[in-house]
Amino acid sequence: MNMEIEPQGNIHISKQTIATIAFQAVQRSYGVVGLASRNIVDGLTHALVKDPTHGIDVEYKNDLINIDLYIIIEYGTRIKSVAASVANTVRYQVEKTLGLPVNEVNVHVQGLRISNLD
Amino acid sequence: MSDDNPERTALFIDGAYFKDLIRASLTWLKTNQEAVNALNVFPVPDGDTGTNMVLTLQAAYDEMKSSEVKKVGSLAEKLAHGALMGARGNSGVILSQIWRGFSKGIGNVEVLDGQSLVKGLVQARDTAYKGVVRPVEGTILTVCKDSALAAQEAYQETNDPREIIKQVTEAAEKSVNNTPELLDVLKEAGVVDAGGKGLLHIFEGMVRLMNNQPLDIAPLGIKPLSLIGKQEAQNAAEPGQDYEVIVDFKPFKPLHLETFYDELEEIGTSIQVGEGEGIYRMHIHVPTEKRYEPIDYTMTLGTISKVHIENLMEQTGNSHPPEEEISLNPVEPGQIAVVAVSPGIGFTKIFASLGAASIVEGGQTMNPSTQEILTAVEKLPTDKIIILPNNKNILMSAQSAAELAVKDVRVIETTTLPQGLSAMLRLIPGQDMDKVTAEMKEAVTDVESGAITTAVRSVDIDGIKIAEGEIISLHNGSLVSSEENLKDGCFNFLKAAQAEQYELITLFYGENISQSAAEEMAAMIQEEYPDQIIELQFGGQPHYQFIISIE
Repeated sequence: MNMEIEPQGNIHISKQTIATIAFQAVQRSYGVVGLASRNIVDGLTHALVKDPTHGIDVEYKNDLINIDLYIIIEYGTRIKSVAASVANTVRYQVEKTLGLPVNEVNVHVQGLRISNLD
Repeated sequence: MSDDNPERTALFIDGAYFKDLIRASLTWLKTNQEAVNALNVFPVPDGDTGTNMVLTLQAAYDEMKSSEVKKVGSLAEKLAHGALMGARGNSGVILSQIWRGFSKGIGNVEVLDGQSLVKGLVQARDTAYKGVVRPVEGTILTVCKDSALAAQEAYQETNDPREIIKQVTEAAEKSVNNTPELLDVLKEAGVVDAGGKGLLHIFEGMVRLMNNQPLDIAPLGIKPLSLIGKQEAQNAAEPGQDYEVIVDFKPFKPLHLETFYDELEEIGTSIQVGEGEGIYRMHIHVPTEKRYEPIDYTMTLGTISKVHIENLMEQTGNSHPPEEEISLNPVEPGQIAVVAVSPGIGFTKIFASLGAASIVEGGQTMNPSTQEILTAVEKLPTDKIIILPNNKNILMSAQSAAELAVKDVRVIETTTLPQGLSAMLRLIPGQDMDKVTAEMKEAVTDVESGAITTAVRSVDIDGIKIAEGEIISLHNGSLVSSEENLKDGCFNFLKAAQAEQYELITLFYGENISQSAAEEMAAMIQEEYPDQIIELQFGGQPHYQFIISIE
């Protein structure tokens, strides 16, 4: 699974790939009702390019993968628990799919959605 | 759904009984906590869905129990609030949403009747589903949905909330058993969804209270097969009950558990029954003269596939070495100190005797946090530190700790305990840091590592079929084989590692195997490998019968 021991050549994985895997994981994470852009300018550019993974940032630093998630959480759930489990889910899915260790997953709660219960 | 049917009697659940029902759910969920935890999708025992759900429901119940109000509506509101504040883990968050929806759904009712119960369950489902963008079916959400549907159907026939809860429970059970059909990962792992099972236990607890069935003890409890084993019994040998008998059997017809237990109680004590894929495992302690009775009795009920008899008195006479003080190596400022991660008391002692300055507890299922490792690093009175993580899962925390520390910290990437010990032998505290690090890194490759453990459930990995309860052996972290007995497991590893080409084989036995059994294994290995030196050491690690080092 390790990328370094491929005998035939190298495998390169784009940030977009990792973000897509994370995106799938976030959508299945309980309590997370959406992804948010970090700011308006960002949101506009992303909107223009129709990026499905806006709200997810992937960085490589010295071969380490760092993922930042900008999410919106359902009002009335325990934010701490939801954030912890989305971080876990994303880490697990990315590591399982790629076989590469994820250094850190940072969760930024950008807002809450209040569903109308009546 | 109208309420004016004259045949419907005014049946309801009042505040006091509502509290009783929730308490029953909590107690029953606690009773089954370990069994829910065991529904892991991975063969290492580290699941905690059961624990998370218990803690969430406990917080919810605590919020409600001291309340003086009699109104069910207000009680449910408190319950929902407690669940929200106490929600732990993914399953806990979903459970809190279920209570939140339930509370909204029943509204401000004085007592809970059939209609409000149905409304509550329907709203619970809707609220639970709102919490996720793409709901995954085959989880607690599905069970919640099927329960709500069953409540609506039951309400067509009855207005009695008790009867509705009973029918909901039946539907929930079916739904739980169907989860593997909806979610492939469950099917592959051969388990049902843990969260769904937890929700079922919550309903079951209520039904058990209505039927006056016991809640806190599980006399009729059926544990997963893997939870029934001799290691559980070792500290529970009572005088006069000298023999432990374990029988695996397949019943001719569905087992009547109550009669089964009654009969067994006539014979002995410490009775446990487990079930997995149609096979039952019966565990009992009996006096010497009765040691064959459980077998004879079980033979009348079904086909026996395996029998295990062990003299417990011999075991207790030969137990693990008593615990002694561990003295860690004192370090002087300027010297190199080693922080080693150890999964058990035996390994801790060995690392200490080799000169480790600090030990962090941790292993396969209990990974220490970066903070724990960092604290150990910071505490030492020197600024040259070497960390031996000794497990693949701990590597990352060790590396983060090294980055965060202000000291000169190096991580030797030891992924197994034998590698850690091998590296440890090269430590010279007064020498140059770079030189020692290089030496230790080199030592890692000198040793072949093996690990022998019991699969906690059936799974298919790397093309090897593993059945629950089988002995799996790992060579340098990759799966070698899955066998029915310990001996084959050990020998398969030794063969895979080409032990005959090395000099020394060291067996570190874990906390789940007796010293006598470990000695027996060492003797068998010596017989097969007469040219090698065999050493036996107490490792004290959980879950792994043996960790083996070959050098």
